[in-house]
Amino acid sequence: MTRLFGWTLLAAAVVAASGAPLLAPHASDDQFRGLLNAAPTFPHLVDDSGHWHRPFIYPWTLVSQLEQRYEQDRSTRVGLVWFTRGRLVGSADDSRAPLMLLGADSYGRDVFSRLLFGARISLALSIVAALGSMLAGVLIGGLAGYIGGGVDDLLMRASDFVLVLPAMYVALALRSVLPLVLASGTVFGLLAAIFAVVGAPFISRGVRAIVRAEKQLDYAVAVASLGAGHARLLARHLLPAARGFIVVEITMLVPAFIVAEATLSYVGLGFPDPVASWGTMLHDASNVRAFADFPWLLSPAAAMFLVVLGLNLVMEQSGVAPVMGAPVAEGAGRLQSE
Amino acid sequence: MTRHTRNVRTFTTAALAFVMAASGGCRSKPRPGGEAGATMSHGGDLVVSVRTEPRTFNRLAARDTSTDLVSILTQAKLVRINRVTQEVEPWLAESWTRSDAGLRYTIKLRPNVTFSDGHPFTADDVVFSFEAVYDEKTGSALADSLQMGGRKLRVTAADPSTVVVAFPAPFAPGLRILDNLPIVPRHKLEAALKAGTFASAWGLSTPPADIVGLGPFVLSEYAPGQRLVFTRNTHYWRTDASGTPLPYLDRVTADIIPDESAEILSLESGRIDMTFSSVAPESYALVKRAADAGRVKLMDLGVAYDADSFWFNLKPGAFAADARAPWLQRDELRLAISMAVDRQLFADTVFLGAGVPVYGPETPSNKKWYAADAPRAPHDPARARVLLGSVGLSDRNGDGAIEDAGNRPARFTLLTQKGRPSLERGAAVIRDELKKVGLVVDVVSLEAGALIQRILSATYDSVYFDPGTTDTDPAINPDFWFSSGSAHLWNMMQKAPATEWEKRIDELMARQIASPDEAERKRLFDEVQRIFAEHLPVIYFVAPRVYVAASARVTNLMPAVSRPQLLWAADTIAVKQ
Repeated sequence: MTRLFGWTLLAAAVVAASGAPLLAPHASDDQFRGLLNAAPTFPHLVDDSGHWHRPFIYPWTLVSQLEQRYEQDRSTRVGLVWFTRGRLVGSADDSRAPLMLLGADSYGRDVFSRLLFGARISLALSIVAALGSMLAGVLIGGLAGYIGGGVDDLLMRASDFVLVLPAMYVALALRSVLPLVLASGTVFGLLAAIFAVVGAPFISRGVRAIVRAEKQLDYAVAVASLGAGHARLLARHLLPAARGFIVVEITMLVPAFIVAEATLSYVGLGFPDPVASWGTMLHDASNVRAFADFPWLLSPAAAMFLVVLGLNLVMEQSGVAPVMGAPVAEGAGRLQSE
Repeated sequence: MTRHTRNVRTFTTAALAFVMAASGGCRSKPRPGGEAGATMSHGGDLVVSVRTEPRTFNRLAARDTSTDLVSILTQAKLVRINRVTQEVEPWLAESWTRSDAGLRYTIKLRPNVTFSDGHPFTADDVVFSFEAVYDEKTGSALADSLQMGGRKLRVTAADPSTVVVAFPAPFAPGLRILDNLPIVPRHKLEAALKAGTFASAWGLSTPPADIVGLGPFVLSEYAPGQRLVFTRNTHYWRTDASGTPLPYLDRVTADIIPDESAEILSLESGRIDMTFSSVAPESYALVKRAADAGRVKLMDLGVAYDADSFWFNLKPGAFAADARAPWLQRDELRLAISMAVDRQLFADTVFLGAGVPVYGPETPSNKKWYAADAPRAPHDPARARVLLGSVGLSDRNGDGAIEDAGNRPARFTLLTQKGRPSLERGAAVIRDELKKVGLVVDVVSLEAGALIQRILSATYDSVYFDPGTTDTDPAINPDFWFSSGSAHLWNMMQKAPATEWEKRIDELMARQIASPDEAERKRLFDEVQRIFAEHLPVIYFVAPRVYVAASARVTNLMPAVSRPQLLWAADTIAVKQ
């Protein structure tokens, strides 16, 4: 049951990301200038007098522009329309009462739509980067642990070097030598590469320790004595022992990379506004009023939590990783903490 | 952009100074402010917040906000511009007389004034301060604002209590210019000036006891990254109307709080009494709630004297090898942009409605110099498209974006400063508004240093930035208006005017600065604003309203629109005990 719940969460994330153009009521950069930071417009079926209707919403009326206070106009109902303009659902009158299931951000953009479109970038980026970290980390850690000696020293010192690099300053230096304007595809590739490099040492160190320890065990000695080659011994027998560790690291790196993307966006290395990603959305919400008055701006954090929860539940029930108490990838917070 | 930020738009109002000088002289006592006539509570601590560390304790070497705060609290000037009335007030200068048709001022210094270490203040300190600020090795942030067309004031000491200031050319604002220079102690800094190390003197590692001044407070503690603590200067020379020695406060603590949200929360919770910066529109609601609960006073000071500026790189040849050269520097492009942007929408989005549309460098708040009849470009996207078409930009492939004659997209980069919400949001609105007429704008946010470097080296397409103004008289801002100026944003420090209209502005401003007739000065500056509006080298959209807040226990405030809105009169601020 728990595993099913985990799969459901992950499936929902994938459906949301892939189906964003249909599911989102608005484009990610559509702006409703009169509704800056407006609260969510929840669909209703029953009006104040107790009468049932087809799904509808109440429009917001601006009370104080400077304080960004709105009141619902309960005297007016605006119906929802289905499968129009290429969208699953939307308001019958966007100019008067746009459907904003998770409210609006500080530019008057629909947070729900941006959350869906942002999922595409954030999930893809973090997954690609985490896989890149895994490949590099497994390769480096496996070779270091298996060969040992000078190769071990060289690879681990290289990993240590990456670990001690002040990632933010390196990113800033890198940014300064790049063109001012970068295409989104370039930004994606650049971020994925940076995250893979930064994340790889955390996996390689653990993999190296596990391979080194496993190599001494009887089963490994037996496999070797039976004539298995180095590559087979490493790939088929030793590295699988690190599977649990790798999965735990990946579940930690994925959300860390999502947030790190926001940090790099701040220094000009991430996706530029108005491109929606969970990281840039969270960056927009990084002020005290978001917590106090506009909590819907934090919905990307909730989405990240659900994705990570789904990953953990699936992995736990697969018997490869504990839900809690897993070793935390120290790299998870490096970019955003510096 | 050192010269630029040092000098950009240090406006002051010249009128009264000139009238007073023209009448043959001035002799008065500085007026106590606010409720100073009433019995003020003596003593108490005030806690303010600043966002950044000071770069130095030497105001002559840097002009960042926190260094300015240190200077305001610990130093004094010969004259002070009252930020509320915009009048010149005698300060360390007790009185003065004018001669040689306004080219020469003989200033009598206030007697019995001593520095905070007890050393007497004399004319030698004034002469020394000018020597220090003009010294090339100092590279002072203030030097340009104390020169006229590159020529320095000649300052001599007639006797220990008399200073003679000679202007190189007629200068209508007169001694108002002296508000730019804090007087520093010769006995403490002369050795550094002689050794050529004045610029590094009074660095952050200097023991606070060595920072000596004529201001109301002395620096008593500096905890890097945490706070600056100032205590009462027991040698301060000023008293209130009832003869009570100033300042009223015993201590001012400046907490260093880099984050604006944290700053506002601190104010709301009572941990600090006021912020050095004004309250941003997005923080207004939080402060308003605290004000409604009686914990703070929230003050609407009116429309700011300045607006954020948008300009293109107009340096001749800057785009010589660029296919956009035929249109990127054209007047029509700038006029089209001015028409394409809905200024009311801009005000609503960027300043949450707390701003007024503006069309030139002077805002309606600057009643004396604002030209209400200068041409304006009304919001008219259709007309903007026609103008863009006149420089060869039109939608040739029907995709909604416009292209040049070679079918290349009409696209340019807009640089702005990172971490400044009003600038970043403003740049986003400009991008979105221009998209509606087919122009593609790539907004790039840069750290302040990187942005300034690009402006100085003229390696940019366009910039949206806040050069900042502190006062109102255009004569005090020659660097902006003259083509040779270091703050002539769009094409700095020209050897000769690059265009006929800049040449005309140079001529008009030269007459405006020198004219003794205030009406003539106004007429000349109106003409300058008209030419400016026709060519739009800088486009302005909205001037924000200025809000400030202070704890309810703070009294005797004299809020002013110009910066620093509250602390400019720190010696008369008091707190309820």
